[in-house]
Amino acid sequence: MNGSNGSERILRRFAASVKTVIAIFFLIPLVFTILVSVRPEAEPVTRGNIFFGSEVTWENYDRALIIAPWSMHYVNSVIFVAGVLLAQLVTVTCAAYAFARMRFFGRNLLLLIILLQLMIPSGVLLVQNFRMINTLGLFDTRIALMIPYWGSAFGVLLLRQTFREVPIELEEAARIDGANLVQVIRHVYVTNAIPAYLAFALVSVSSHWNEFLWPFIITRSAEIRPLTVGLNKLIKTTDQGAFYGQLMAGTLIVIAPLVLLFLLFQRQFVESFARSGIR
Amino acid sequence: MNRLCKSLVLITALALLMTGAVIAQDDIVIDFYFPSATANDAEGIFQRYADTFEERNEGISINPVFTGSYTDTRNTILTELQGGGAGPDVAVMLSIDLYSFAEEGYIVPAQGFIDAMDDGGAYINDFFPSLMANGVDDMGNVWSIPFQRSTPILYYNADLLAEAGYDSPPTNNAELVEIAQALTTDDRDGLLVPVAGGFPIWMYQSFAIAYGRNIVSDDPTEVYFNTPEAVAAVEFVRSLGTDLGVGPAGGAAWGDTPVAFLAGQAAMIYHTTGNLSRILDGADFEVGVWYLPSGPAGDDGAGYGSPTGGGNLYIFDDGSKSDAELDAIWKWVMFLSSPEIQADWGATTGYIAANATAWETEPLASRAMEYPQYGVARDQLQHADKEFSSYATITIQGIINKTLESILTGESEDAQAAMDEAQAQIDGILAEYK
Repeated sequence: MNGSNGSERILRRFAASVKTVIAIFFLIPLVFTILVSVRPEAEPVTRGNIFFGSEVTWENYDRALIIAPWSMHYVNSVIFVAGVLLAQLVTVTCAAYAFARMRFFGRNLLLLIILLQLMIPSGVLLVQNFRMINTLGLFDTRIALMIPYWGSAFGVLLLRQTFREVPIELEEAARIDGANLVQVIRHVYVTNAIPAYLAFALVSVSSHWNEFLWPFIITRSAEIRPLTVGLNKLIKTTDQGAFYGQLMAGTLIVIAPLVLLFLLFQRQFVESFARSGIR
Repeated sequence: MNRLCKSLVLITALALLMTGAVIAQDDIVIDFYFPSATANDAEGIFQRYADTFEERNEGISINPVFTGSYTDTRNTILTELQGGGAGPDVAVMLSIDLYSFAEEGYIVPAQGFIDAMDDGGAYINDFFPSLMANGVDDMGNVWSIPFQRSTPILYYNADLLAEAGYDSPPTNNAELVEIAQALTTDDRDGLLVPVAGGFPIWMYQSFAIAYGRNIVSDDPTEVYFNTPEAVAAVEFVRSLGTDLGVGPAGGAAWGDTPVAFLAGQAAMIYHTTGNLSRILDGADFEVGVWYLPSGPAGDDGAGYGSPTGGGNLYIFDDGSKSDAELDAIWKWVMFLSSPEIQADWGATTGYIAANATAWETEPLASRAMEYPQYGVARDQLQHADKEFSSYATITIQGIINKTLESILTGESEDAQAAMDEAQAQIDGILAEYK
């Protein structure tokens, strides 16, 4: 064993321990949420054992479950994020191909405008978006929930970069073999950009799953409102002070599917993020 | 690609089919927006009220819509109205939202409806006068009707007080400080006043009133934030966490205060009556409730005082609604503010039922009999005063909160100077309304 091997090992160990510490830091909120959710409401964490109360209780879940029709909200959230994602996949693919491979007047200016959209906070557009939806007669419908998200500047930029890395020779070969535009996009570009799509899907799903303001403003019927609106009922207890146990139970109910999804597909997600260059 | 397109079309079609509830055509539909600020199933309770109401009033159907917190509710309604939407017919909003909505012409006064009643005087006089203060404009017109109201009171751990030899709660600031100091230990605060966390104005107002002068009057163009009373009040609150050492410096956080009290980590707290049910049900010790102790304005009770808070019923009309619709709207408002519903709502949620008759009505009557603490909260109303509200309420409230916070945390050492500066800023804003 020589010296450089030894120092390399030390370095690797050091990196591993740093990673462990960071992982623990990231885990703390989740662990804390779980612990508080099974702690009796009358026992704040500042008193007694910081990890567990006098008993493990499900009463916070029982109360949280009563306050909102969660199963209905789940269905609504799934329809909402799926409806957004499916439309986005179509729009960003088309736009990304156009910006990556087509030449047309004003291409860079258009791209710049799309880039600008990333910098506008959506809250600013609330009233205007509402006005448009209302004029279209779509107020309080599922479609109104989704429409503003059907385009995605982030998705266009991400896929444009990925498409540009696909060798142009592949497209030329496909053309010679008689593929039309749709077939080229489908077989040459989409197939080669699966990791990017997966990364984009993850970002899209998790961000819309957590979206509150727009769904809240544009819907009135409980039958189409997503999970975040249900969670809102547990948060806003200002006339009574905080109910931390109940709040944490509700939070876990809302995030559970995303956490499970991530745990199941962890390896794939991490790889696709690494390959698509998002960190 | 093809399959993707097909499923897209399918989903779109499905989504369109699933939207909107079918309502009988002849019914007048009242859109009722309500916030929720307690941990109750407000949606379920309002649905129950709506069902009862619809049974008794053929041809009117109620559409209750949950609109989040008070702030969410205000923003939702403003977005909808500014964006050309229909908006609600009736909404529960903070009692202090009056001027923001009246200025824009979104709401109409309840006064017209009351005048048209046979016994309008009896209806309106049944409400506790201090709860009406924020719903009446400077001309004496009633705009909004009290619905879910609350006011700060003193909660004390009677067991701890008895242990230390105190048989009765403090009735003035001197006794308050004495008892709080006697009950402060290493792991227990003697007194928690929730003024930390961005919204100190409400609790602060009770001290300003106890010192002899509220920071608002009936005139929405006047604010009195730099008077000697106002300054002395904030200095007293600050001293609780510094010189007197009975609570954390800078005050306690709103949400944590009742939790600490229930856990025995605080002997006395200032908090809202909205919490009464939760605290009575959750405590494993004897809970005492008393008026907020009186300040220098008078030990004989003249120095009692607390602001009121909570939500009122507002009627929305831009002038386009028919008489039949307005009639139905008023029926719903009357129903929600009736002793019957107020008694039920008060007993279920802990809000103070807003009219005197409700307290003789079940289920509140027996609840108040069982827990005399409810009666104390109600009786304090005779000493209660107006909650902060003026033109440009939100902006000015923000200035006051920021100033109070900087004084309480010690960032601004000279309270008078900071409040003079805030007052000048406020006067500048209000000048254009005079």
